[in-house]
Amino acid sequence: MLDRELVADVLTAARRKGGDFAEVFVEERSSSSIRLDDGKVEELTTGLDRGAGVRVAHGISYGYAYSNKLDRDALLEAAAAASAALRGDAAGPVVDLTDRFGPGTNRANRAADSVAAADKVGWLREVDEVARGQSPEVTQVTGIYFDSLQRRLIAASDGRWIDEERPRIRLVAQVVAKRGDVIQTGWDGPAACAGVEFLDAHPPRVTAERAATRAVTMLDSIPAPAGEMAVVVANGCGGVLFHEAVGHPLEADAVDKEASVYRALVGQRCASELIDGVDDATIPNGWGSYDFDDEGEPAQRTELFRAGVLQGFLQDRLRAAKMGVQPTGNGRRESYASPPIVRMTNTNILPGKEDPDQILRSTAHGIYVRGLGGGQVNPATGDFVFGVSEGYLIQDGQVTTPVRGANLIGRAIEVMSSVDAVGSDFETWEGVCGKDGQSAPVGSGSPTLRIGKITVGGTGA
Amino acid sequence: MPELGTLVHAAVEAADDGEQVEAYAEEGRQTEVSALRSEIEGMTFAESRGLGVRVIREGRLGYAWASDPSEDEARETVWRARENAALSEPDEHNALPDPRASEAMPEIFHEQSVTVGADDKVRMALELEAYTVSRDPRVSKVDLAQVGDAVSRVAIASTTGVDVQYARTDAWAVVVTLAVDGDETQTGFSYAITRGLDELTWEPVAEEAVERAVAMLGAIKPPTAKVPVVLDPFAASSFLGVLAGALNADNVLKGRSLFADMVGRAVGSDAFTLVDDGRRLDGPGACPFDAEGVPSGRTELFTRGTLRGFLHDTYTAHRAGDGQRSTGNAKRGGYRSTPGVGTSNFFVDPGDLSYGQLLASAEGGVLIMDVSGVHSGANPISGEFSVGATGLRVVGGAIGEPVREMTIASTLPEMLAGIAGVGSDLRFFSSVGTPSILIGEMTLAGV
Repeated sequence: MLDRELVADVLTAARRKGGDFAEVFVEERSSSSIRLDDGKVEELTTGLDRGAGVRVAHGISYGYAYSNKLDRDALLEAAAAASAALRGDAAGPVVDLTDRFGPGTNRANRAADSVAAADKVGWLREVDEVARGQSPEVTQVTGIYFDSLQRRLIAASDGRWIDEERPRIRLVAQVVAKRGDVIQTGWDGPAACAGVEFLDAHPPRVTAERAATRAVTMLDSIPAPAGEMAVVVANGCGGVLFHEAVGHPLEADAVDKEASVYRALVGQRCASELIDGVDDATIPNGWGSYDFDDEGEPAQRTELFRAGVLQGFLQDRLRAAKMGVQPTGNGRRESYASPPIVRMTNTNILPGKEDPDQILRSTAHGIYVRGLGGGQVNPATGDFVFGVSEGYLIQDGQVTTPVRGANLIGRAIEVMSSVDAVGSDFETWEGVCGKDGQSAPVGSGSPTLRIGKITVGGTGA
Repeated sequence: MPELGTLVHAAVEAADDGEQVEAYAEEGRQTEVSALRSEIEGMTFAESRGLGVRVIREGRLGYAWASDPSEDEARETVWRARENAALSEPDEHNALPDPRASEAMPEIFHEQSVTVGADDKVRMALELEAYTVSRDPRVSKVDLAQVGDAVSRVAIASTTGVDVQYARTDAWAVVVTLAVDGDETQTGFSYAITRGLDELTWEPVAEEAVERAVAMLGAIKPPTAKVPVVLDPFAASSFLGVLAGALNADNVLKGRSLFADMVGRAVGSDAFTLVDDGRRLDGPGACPFDAEGVPSGRTELFTRGTLRGFLHDTYTAHRAGDGQRSTGNAKRGGYRSTPGVGTSNFFVDPGDLSYGQLLASAEGGVLIMDVSGVHSGANPISGEFSVGATGLRVVGGAIGEPVREMTIASTLPEMLAGIAGVGSDLRFFSSVGTPSILIGEMTLAGV
């Protein structure tokens, strides 16, 4: 994308006042999206984005400047702006830039740009037809297809030079069902860092069926109960909970600011001994996977909990250097327009031994959660909430009436400690995580698990 | 580097016979400086420009965009949008707006703000952090202390004759504090947004962030109950985004709003009036025209509880028919996205009740100071919500002990009908604003 000599000059300019290191991040991203709504292909959009960001780091302080112009003058100007806040006056060295190669975690077998737009439109028509065919109560269908190819160059003053491509693909179905005055919605949206071969394993038809079934099922729902009770979280959903309630407070920037409930708990048991948890950017074609993070650190599988004992934190370069540990390859950024921050990749609770059906059968009374709409955590206090998009009552070990308007609220350590059953099944869920104004694709996964006691916020009895 | 006006004109001139072309160009410069432990934590300079083109041909819509294009690339963007249009389906309601006179709003651009140097921004951020941690012995740390500003320019031109430009400035200060007492940590947030750095007073932001964190120390989990609730402006504003989705005419027309069949009905209590007004200068969302070049205006969505109508852009107005005009509510996430219905300054009209009067009417209830999980726990299509909440008990007409780890749940119509009083303390958070709101009864789930 840029020649090495120019990049070396930009790095040299960025180090005019020293600092610990300087880094250039260059990105080119082509994307296409198609939206079908209300029975019509409404919109096809294609875009081409490119730009570069220059960062100069000193301790955990940084200066960052970006431009979407890639000429020499613009890049040197960015280097000057990024280094402006430094107080030093001795220039730092720039090591010869040398290629580093990754394992190719996110190969696309069939590149999205090799498929005609008309075929992509066809997938959305199938979503519309299949979803409407599920029930006469389906009143609206939105289908969204998205693919992108991001090419990134990361070069830094320590000599790293990394050129990596990341293909992304996603197909989303959102369905509205109506009966009288009751409106309910259902959603499904598998995604991966892959080519269009991904849709062979996750056909549009299945995505449409799932979304439509969820919407129609919820028409029969009653208001969720309120108060403390047992909650069985279906496989896949627990990963979202783990991401939100536990993952965010384990990000080293929160730890460094003493804004994490886990800051002093490494080596201590702070979850049920049934919990083994990891953050793993090396899963082939995972939605949150890569070869190198956006600082050019190799992707890795980081153990977070072993039998409920906290193993460590998720690190970027700045925080790891300050804490005297190795980076874990968790420095990510939304695009060249943002400095990297500490983030999760694919965050999973590993499968246990219990039969998931047995977990339900042994639950006398509670809620069964099969869809979580996402959530929010305050890392400093550990307080978190989750919207339940698909939930059911559990009565005498049986899953019965669907419930709506439920929310789970709790504190991370207490809730993870009260997990008393972990299933042998495992499922993933792909989402988009927001932090500090940046969004990032993240994967999460879990087996079926039961939380002994958590507050369910509903309106019912 | 071509001027924005030159870029949009180059694109429009590339239109073929028999098609409508609209070009939207924007450029912006933004600086953010955050301080931590008396040092600069991060300083980000951002500069971007880009162009988005809509082509409508035989009712078919195509879109393409490019970052920092040359004039040639602007013309190529038109070709790509045209290719995309060929694959989409015709919709007779796709149309670009005809030009309407819009009054300029020079007030939203502060030249003085543009000239503030990086050194001064660094100093402001350092002072903001230092002042914040000097207020209370329990608050010696911040999670975030940030000062930022942005300068942006927009140009829109189309084959239907729209040809407009404007410039704006924004500045803000954000603080998140950490209050510590023994093993317990609580956080407090505050935020101010102004037209320019020259009029940004950040001391009240620091003070409020400290007060809000300290107030939560010692919070307990309350029992499940139905109680009166006062939503302070921080908490109340969180619901406005959900309301905006339900009042978006695109959602209404496509069967995705519970309000679809309720126009003319008394949905809310008569204390509730909800307005969108893009020309209100004290709102951060002020702008002379929307993302299609249609002049901003004032739209009452609810008047004393009665639903009056919805927010429209040109497409939804055409599709709704019945003489409906765009309300000037086309918005975009930036040049990368097509315009869609959005809000400008979207706010609950203030009432005349003082804070003390609201608390006096909520005896035995809770003052909610923060809600969480609104993006996942509230459904603008069905109107149901259940969100996490923190706040203070109301005892004897005054605030009492703090409570946390609870949820409040209801539906939008029930909540709006239950509004028993509206305060006079209107406050804007980005482009949404609200005063404190008293709700007669809500389910609060805790122990």
